[in-house]
Amino acid sequence: MVEFLQMVLSGIAVGSSYALMGLGMVLIYKASEVPNFVQGEMALLPVFISFMLLTSYNVPYYIAFPATLIFAFLLGCFLEFGILRRAKEPNVLGLIIITIGMEMILLGFVSWKFGADQRAMPFPISSYDSIIIGDIFISTLDMLTLVVALVIMLSMFLFFRFSKTGVAMKATQMNENAAALMGIKTKQIRMVAWGISSMVGCVAGLLMAPILVEPYMMWDPMLKGFSGAVVGGMTSLPGAVFGAYIVGIVEHLFGGYVSLEFKSVVAFVIIVIVLCIKPSGLFARHYVKKV
Amino acid sequence: MKKYLVYILTVMTMVVFGLALNATAEEGVTDTEIHIGQWGPQTGPAAPWGAVARGTDAYFKMINADGGIHGRKLIHHYFDDAYNPAKTKAGVKQLQEDTGMFAWVSGVGTAPGLAVKDYLMERKILWVGPSAGSRHWLEPANKYLFNTYPLYLGDAELLTKYAVETLKLKKIAVVYQNDDYGKQGLEGCEAELKKQGLELAIGLPMNVADVDMKPHIMKLKNSDAQAVLLFVGPGHVARLQGTGKAMQFEPQWMTSTTCGDHPLMMAITKGLYAGTISAAFGLMDPTNIGDIADFNKPTLPAMVKFYNDGYKKFAAKEERWGSTFAAGMGYVEPLIEALKRVGRDVTREKVVAELEKIQNFKSAMGTVSYTAFDANDPLCRIGQQEVFLVRAEPDGTSTILTNWYKTTYIPSGH
Amino acid sequence: MDMKRDYYEDVRIFTSGAVIFWTGILLLLLAIFPFVAKNYYVYVVNFMAINVIVVVGLNILVGYTGQISMGHAGFFAIGAYGTIVLMTQAHFPFLLALPSAGLIAAFIGFLLGLPALRLEGPYLAIATLGFGITTTQIIGKIQMFGERQGLHAPDLIIGGWHIKTDKDFYFLLIPITIAMVIIARNIIKTKVGRAFISIRDADIAASTIGVNLTYYKTLAFAVSAFYAAVGGGLYAFVLRFIEPELFSMFMSVTFLTMVVVGGLGSIMGSVAGACLLGFLDLQLRNILEIPYFGDWIRMLSESYFTLTGASNIQLIVFGLILIVIMLFEPLGIFGMWIRSKKYWLAWPF
Repeated sequence: MVEFLQMVLSGIAVGSSYALMGLGMVLIYKASEVPNFVQGEMALLPVFISFMLLTSYNVPYYIAFPATLIFAFLLGCFLEFGILRRAKEPNVLGLIIITIGMEMILLGFVSWKFGADQRAMPFPISSYDSIIIGDIFISTLDMLTLVVALVIMLSMFLFFRFSKTGVAMKATQMNENAAALMGIKTKQIRMVAWGISSMVGCVAGLLMAPILVEPYMMWDPMLKGFSGAVVGGMTSLPGAVFGAYIVGIVEHLFGGYVSLEFKSVVAFVIIVIVLCIKPSGLFARHYVKKV
Repeated sequence: MKKYLVYILTVMTMVVFGLALNATAEEGVTDTEIHIGQWGPQTGPAAPWGAVARGTDAYFKMINADGGIHGRKLIHHYFDDAYNPAKTKAGVKQLQEDTGMFAWVSGVGTAPGLAVKDYLMERKILWVGPSAGSRHWLEPANKYLFNTYPLYLGDAELLTKYAVETLKLKKIAVVYQNDDYGKQGLEGCEAELKKQGLELAIGLPMNVADVDMKPHIMKLKNSDAQAVLLFVGPGHVARLQGTGKAMQFEPQWMTSTTCGDHPLMMAITKGLYAGTISAAFGLMDPTNIGDIADFNKPTLPAMVKFYNDGYKKFAAKEERWGSTFAAGMGYVEPLIEALKRVGRDVTREKVVAELEKIQNFKSAMGTVSYTAFDANDPLCRIGQQEVFLVRAEPDGTSTILTNWYKTTYIPSGH
Repeated sequence: MDMKRDYYEDVRIFTSGAVIFWTGILLLLLAIFPFVAKNYYVYVVNFMAINVIVVVGLNILVGYTGQISMGHAGFFAIGAYGTIVLMTQAHFPFLLALPSAGLIAAFIGFLLGLPALRLEGPYLAIATLGFGITTTQIIGKIQMFGERQGLHAPDLIIGGWHIKTDKDFYFLLIPITIAMVIIARNIIKTKVGRAFISIRDADIAASTIGVNLTYYKTLAFAVSAFYAAVGGGLYAFVLRFIEPELFSMFMSVTFLTMVVVGGLGSIMGSVAGACLLGFLDLQLRNILEIPYFGDWIRMLSESYFTLTGASNIQLIVFGLILIVIMLFEPLGIFGMWIRSKKYWLAWPF
């Protein structure tokens, strides 16, 4: 039983970082209707920037991390404004390829600037301490990730419910033309959505960085976040979070009881099963196409 | 008739030219130069291993600065294959067929090497010191392929032996990367445990893309393992040790030669690596057990020279003095030794003959010996079979735990 | 000028004298190429030809039927492993083993097509991506497939023809490639192809006029899986060694990229996309050898970046090429071709 609880808890811990990545993907999918393959690298570059600030320039944490988040926001805005928006008569596949291209550029840039070696990132709390409840362990870093994820989800909820920008975003996503007619600057809204998404991803990146920093560190979380978002339905924020936690927990239970080797692919099996039952994910309303 | 004459003339000139080219010199050797090729990932997830190629490059430049070998400069051609065998093959073909390489050295990775092995061997092109300890290089032995990297089997054998006999531990577990490298670690450990009359506590596979280590640690914990052999990459070692620490699982960690870079390992584990025992294939002098060796202050003559005249003068300014970089020299030293012995008249056959005469050659790595070619005897091309153990200390130095130990060769399928 | 008056005009391969002329030139060039080019370039062309086969097949699925697949490396792997294993274990001759492996992959493609019936967009993308990753994991567990150690390709002998060099293989590969491309074109020009296109444009409308969605969607998957597997089987002999890690997600993504960059719904576009990106993929490693540009990058690296990471400029250049093509032309290379053709036909107006 203890083992089972431990696995579930570990699953929730790892699910939190997937959830943040998933949230980022859903925000962008809702804004631009493109599965965003640059999500991971949008977080990677800011993480390395903060690594540089902390180690080369000895900037204190309370400046470095906020600065990184602002940089992430601007990076997200730039990618939308400077590149994606410039696409002529875009189709979904074309946009996917553009995000893949951006992904390569950012990854290449990071590896070029910082080299391929693994590094350790300084962080205010140790990633090796844990809180022990009975026989169950949860590391303080995981705890922090969980709390941060919950705070971000809550603030997201409040943002979309009560802030003007949030409501405008929802309106834009529901019906762009109608929103524009109501005086919403839909293009700006889309840009801001990218910025916020990038910031959320960057938080996830910063929380993963204390364990190890390397250029290819964001691939797996990005894929898992994407999977989680798809399980939840690409257009639902609570869905993405829920899906990410499911992926995290099932992964751990599968790894613990069935096979470690196939642990990393079990997420995709869940997806196929879930999607066969509910083709648009668990939380999204199934959109019925008309002729 | 005239037409035929033209044809015949063309063919004849071509034959003459072809013969002339062959007659003047061995491929890749001119009066002043010897061309040597190498591949190594500079991009992609395996890029940290690319330092091997840059190390060899600095080593060759150092030799050239000292006047070359019998008046000839070594021209090093290395390219980035991103650990993708299709690219390795493309690069090797291009350099071999356009420029003409006298020999190939090192080359990171089992899969990229396997993609070009047949190509090189069919053309009787010399290849020295593949940078991966694989039995694929030895079974069957190839006349032109000389191994220097001791097999990972041996790492596992010595680590297990040390854990059981010296540390008196009974429960040994292995975490292995899901490939040739990791599987050898598992096999070597199991073989040694069998000799000791013990059972493996648990063997856990790890995929290269895995980042979440909690399931592994939980299983290790449940198996009550006292010593855990890690046959994974440095990044995974850091993740495993970090997760282990957080879950209060701290066995005797043991790692293979690939994680022998203690300054790097200490940095990326934020100090957790201290106390870990790792296997080493050289670059340090293990004769005095209990000595402290500092990788950043080399003592072996070959290493001192390479550090001062090679690394400091020819490496890029952000290049780290690490064991991966320095091994770039270690793997190719036998070839350089043979080139020195063979004199001015350099041909592949003569260099092979000289390589076969190398006995108990010791420089930066362990003892290297080759014997006359016999396709059924892997040991004639194995080169080095020795490893030793070191323990990582908190300041990044290493304590020598054992002297050189000659490992056993286990043929595959046994 | 492009007005089609009857069905036979539409299905004709050679639409005009000019096409016959240029096809002839192309075939001639292909025939003499290995005799004039360096052997290395023959290898590169072999590699590109394999990409052409896979990408043309993938385009039938993505460009013509409107389904997305990010798991074609899985079918590619099935083809590669299937061909080798059928040859070594079941002693099939190559020319039988290759289509057999293709049919196995087609059957698996049909099975994958079943859940895909209900999925679209990102849902289908992630499901197929999972298929690709899972396939290589499973192959890595099977003893007969050499587990993680990989497999060596056996000697290739067809009739009395022992295929050893790249040049020999070229003469086997190019006819197969041409045949596969022509077959793909014919599929598109017939009833099946029109069904595919109607599904892409409006699947519900298509089903109301009697297009069997289940049949044609799974068929599209099967056909493109067959193409990928044939490409895979040939790839195994170009490389002569295969192992599971080769068939990574990156490979699937590269195939998809080639389709889109070449031009969705265009066979010739796919050929162009596969050739261009396949060539870049192999050749970009030499980027630092380019005169001036390479030196400039080195200088830049020394001042602002790292020299040890300078090779990563490959990724940046590749990404830039993708972005630039897609930003200016949603139909990729094919779109550019159409645009320039129109421009010159109407010139000087």
